[in-house]
Amino acid sequence: MSSFSRSAQQWATFARSWFVIDARMQPPGKIATMCAIRLQGKHKPIYHALSDCGDHVVVMNTRHIALSGNKWEQKIYSSHTGYPGGFKQVTAAQLHHKDPQALVRLAVYGMLPKNLLRRTMMQRLHLFAEGELPEEIVRNLTEELPQPRIIPRALPEYTQEERDAFPRLWTPPEDFRLK
Amino acid sequence: MVFLTFPCLIRNRGPDRYWRVQEVLKNARHFRGRKNRCYSLAVRAVRRAFVYATKGRHLKKRDMRSLWISRIAAGSREHGLKYPVLVGNLVKCSVQLNRKVLSDLAINEPRTFQSLAKLARARQEEGFRAALGDGSEPPGVLSRVVLLQ
Amino acid sequence: MTGRGTPSRFLQSVLQNGVGRYVCQLKRISLIFSKNAQSSLGARNFIEEGVVDFAKKNPGTVVYISPEPCRIPRIVAEYLNGTVKEEAITSKTSQQISELVTKLTDQSGLDIIRIRKPYHTDSPSIQGQWHPFTNRPPAAGVIRPPSDETSA
Repeated sequence: MSSFSRSAQQWATFARSWFVIDARMQPPGKIATMCAIRLQGKHKPIYHALSDCGDHVVVMNTRHIALSGNKWEQKIYSSHTGYPGGFKQVTAAQLHHKDPQALVRLAVYGMLPKNLLRRTMMQRLHLFAEGELPEEIVRNLTEELPQPRIIPRALPEYTQEERDAFPRLWTPPEDFRLK
Repeated sequence: MVFLTFPCLIRNRGPDRYWRVQEVLKNARHFRGRKNRCYSLAVRAVRRAFVYATKGRHLKKRDMRSLWISRIAAGSREHGLKYPVLVGNLVKCSVQLNRKVLSDLAINEPRTFQSLAKLARARQEEGFRAALGDGSEPPGVLSRVVLLQ
Repeated sequence: MTGRGTPSRFLQSVLQNGVGRYVCQLKRISLIFSKNAQSSLGARNFIEEGVVDFAKKNPGTVVYISPEPCRIPRIVAEYLNGTVKEEAITSKTSQQISELVTKLTDQSGLDIIRIRKPYHTDSPSIQGQWHPFTNRPPAAGVIRPPSDETSA
């Protein structure tokens, strides 16, 4: 028997961490993968499906997520109210306009295991449409996760020198008219 | 509850329905509902339970292995390695630790696991260097990964 | 047998017996036999041949010999942790009884039931068990949301 108390060790091992991730210009699916792993506790070597060792994840800037391709118009979110004629279909843009957290929440919800623990895990997911977090959540945070996608720089963010130094395939002639 | 089954069977000299029923019910006492006291329900449930137990003995090995793998994967991710990279490179280094021991090390002896991860990382880089050669292109090949490195 | 239907325990030893010193856990053994029944023939032979040697070899164990008129001779073994084990020795030879007594002496008195894991340690971790900050330096101060840096 060791001299120190085992219970302190136990508390340390099963302590819950709080992760924060910035979803600005990030695809919601990649955000959801990172969230789902941490909500389940699959990033810990002590993982067991029944030991409820998931962590808290705070996702901010969910209003500013990015979808590739034509998904804002093409991706359809369907639901049924249960009543006759209650089949609802909205595009991603409409849903996002109505609820800026819905896309990330649905993506994470679909990636969690389909069992009774899913609702509990979802309670540990904290979504914020903007960048401001309440003080009681900021106090808990232990680690910030890196963003899965490198945000491309927009043209206005480049300085004039960088634009001039950018290599060109061909130099347009003087009388060239851009269409 | 005292079952002195063996002496009772001797005294009764031969098969007795009561004791045979008790033999079945003994395995069903923890069941839910009337299955734990009515013989005709219990006998089916006990038979099913034994079938499940037989299958479960095989499933247990499979489940434990998948649990170890997910634990090792979590532990190796902390050191920036993917699971197949860690295990594959440890095999190449002829480290003959099985998955049970590796997952135990990841939980109970994290420093040892860290050094194993470093070993796997070193072996991986060594493999990359061997595959890429000394950086010079072989004759007749114009573009290779070497140029990107 | 099903997993839940049968009793089970984890591997354990009595007070780390055998680490450093060994204490025989069998404290009292009584041999109940009949003086004239045929089924007690082996028991009587064992008393003639082996019981004194056994008692000399195990000074920590009290041996009782109790002749009673009975058909089933038996051995009652009592252990340090209070377990009482009874074994019938009907029609057993002296040799078989001596083997049985040796087996009872070597046992610890713990229940003989299914053992869940074939290994056990009292000190599972030398380097300290894994915890969330084993491989991650704790952040100094409070983690600031990254938007503060971008807006600032």
